[in-house]
Amino acid sequence: MTKSHTLMVSPDAPPVQRNWWAYVIILIICVFNFLPYLYVVMTGFMDATTSNRPEPQWFFTPTLEAFRFLLFDKNLMHNFRNSLVVSLSATFLSVTLGMFCAYAIARFDFGGRDDVSFWVLTNRMMPPVAVLIPIFVTFQTLRLLDTLTGLIILYTAMQLPFVVWMLTGYFRDIPRRYEESAMVDGDTWFQAFRKVTLPLMMPSITATAIFVMILSWNEYVFALFLTSTGARTMPPAIVAYSIGANISWNVLGAAVVLITAPLILFVLIVQRQLISGLSQGTLRK
Amino acid sequence: MAELRIENLAKTFKGGFQALSGISFDVADREAVFLLGPSGAGKTTTLRLVAGLELPSEGRITIDGKDVSGWQPRERNLAMVYDKHSLFPHMTVFENLAYPLRNRKLKDAEIRSRIGTVTETLQVSELLERYPSQLSGGQMQRVAIGRALVREANVYLLDEPISHLDAKLRARMRVEFKRLQRDYRATMLYVSHDQLEAMTMADRIVLINQGRVEQIAPPQELFDRPETLFAATFVGEPSMNVFEARLLQQDGGFGLSLGKSRIALDRDWFATGEPISPDRAYLAGIRPQHVTLADAGATGVNVVHGTVFAVETLGSRIIFDIEAEGTVVRVLTSTDTGRQYSHEIGTPIAFRVAPELIYLFEAQTGRTVRQAQFTDPAGQLENGFAPQGARRQ
Repeated sequence: MTKSHTLMVSPDAPPVQRNWWAYVIILIICVFNFLPYLYVVMTGFMDATTSNRPEPQWFFTPTLEAFRFLLFDKNLMHNFRNSLVVSLSATFLSVTLGMFCAYAIARFDFGGRDDVSFWVLTNRMMPPVAVLIPIFVTFQTLRLLDTLTGLIILYTAMQLPFVVWMLTGYFRDIPRRYEESAMVDGDTWFQAFRKVTLPLMMPSITATAIFVMILSWNEYVFALFLTSTGARTMPPAIVAYSIGANISWNVLGAAVVLITAPLILFVLIVQRQLISGLSQGTLRK
Repeated sequence: MAELRIENLAKTFKGGFQALSGISFDVADREAVFLLGPSGAGKTTTLRLVAGLELPSEGRITIDGKDVSGWQPRERNLAMVYDKHSLFPHMTVFENLAYPLRNRKLKDAEIRSRIGTVTETLQVSELLERYPSQLSGGQMQRVAIGRALVREANVYLLDEPISHLDAKLRARMRVEFKRLQRDYRATMLYVSHDQLEAMTMADRIVLINQGRVEQIAPPQELFDRPETLFAATFVGEPSMNVFEARLLQQDGGFGLSLGKSRIALDRDWFATGEPISPDRAYLAGIRPQHVTLADAGATGVNVVHGTVFAVETLGSRIIFDIEAEGTVVRVLTSTDTGRQYSHEIGTPIAFRVAPELIYLFEAQTGRTVRQAQFTDPAGQLENGFAPQGARRQ
């Protein structure tokens, strides 16, 4: 009797091994990665002489001198605003347009669909610098040089292939039946898309948007060549202000703080939404 | 509630695959019609055409006399339940149930009361706050059915809604479905590949094979009077034995020869109906429950000798697969009778065929040229597995 009883009980899962050394390794890697950034941030709070000393300075009197220089003397807020407008607009446009494009590729069976989707990918194959001069000339002709509109159009075009490819895969993962159920239940095609498919896609769209936002925010080469003062974004501006005849390390450090802080903030805010979206959706294939 | 009529419906997909060719049938008001057939027969395609999710290449679909062939899905006022993926994963059960009602701009109180009634009937009231991912398979399908029932649809379309549940739950859901259909007086078009579901729940069955209608009949009639070889072999479990029919004339009567054995056929039965030409090939069919076991030493007419090929024990019944004259014949027998014979593979055994229960098919077209002779199916089939009392009221 006892024997048959024990047979009925499924054996416990083997105990999970707690690998403390894994955490040690992770910690070491984190510290290793974080230290340079920490030092750059510290440099931002040094005065010019301290930051220029060849040996590392771990103890110093913090000063806002470099920030003051960037924000008030050089009016970096102007560049900050440009960066913000350009990246947010480019992210919004590329994700919105890319979403519809991806939806079409994933859902509709039209002639030459595979060619279209391959062509989209080829746009990312050549190095962007290769087309720098043609784009410069095009911008010149269209009077888009040094305008925010020009940068927004360019960044949108640059990010679209990535968005389309990412989202096509995600759309394919969502069964078509959800939309069909909604349509039978009384929705038009677009209502079904908006009320059913879009909410299910939200986590994927958010993840893609974060990525696109980061890429646009940090874009340097095109911003450098296509803008002068009016539409100059943060990355080229910072290089211009901190690296001249000699490098002002403290200005560079302050600039790093100013350019990365908004990004970190943005990701943290969106990520919370991303995680809640993921845990709520729980798609089953 | 409404009447659905399908006329000469055909669908050819891009790439030339013809899923349906000329399907016609109708579903009367409050009737439960089942589309039965093997996978790939075109059942789901038919359902999708009715729902408006695909457009027909040819033919007409009318609901209450109105031609809806070109209408959008939302204009047809149908409710559909899929085998899975019917519920939206980002909404609670309540929101899922409310979805079709909100689309119809009903007031909150009305939505609440309707959902209350339906969830009570389906016994899912305590699940309203959950998300679909937190439900078991059975609960999910109940809620999906509930989502169809909360509104008054013209026709309820069900695409194998319980096929993915485990056997026990499926058996219970079958009974519940039957009751729901009566309570809600629903006009129902139900797709299934499971003949048991169709036999137990249908008022009429539309048997589909390779995009064509094989037969339309109430369940018992489909079982008793199959119009084609396909209908005869697809319906009934275990399926009908079919063998080549070598017709011969003997002592002024007619018979079938199966190797060395002879089966005497009723003269009148053989003579009435369309003439049977000796030049054509025919197939004879007999259901496993109409064959009885006999000792290997038995002699006489209607007795066929063979050896045991396999024995399938079902618990309440035993199936003997007997290899005889180059074919394997299945014999369904009671457990008690089965015990009297050796189960060992290769043992010589014999079986007796009831000649009045033989069907005759034309080999080339698969048409039934002679139905079995019984007039009182219920009496004759007492031994059979066909569900009793599933006839149309």
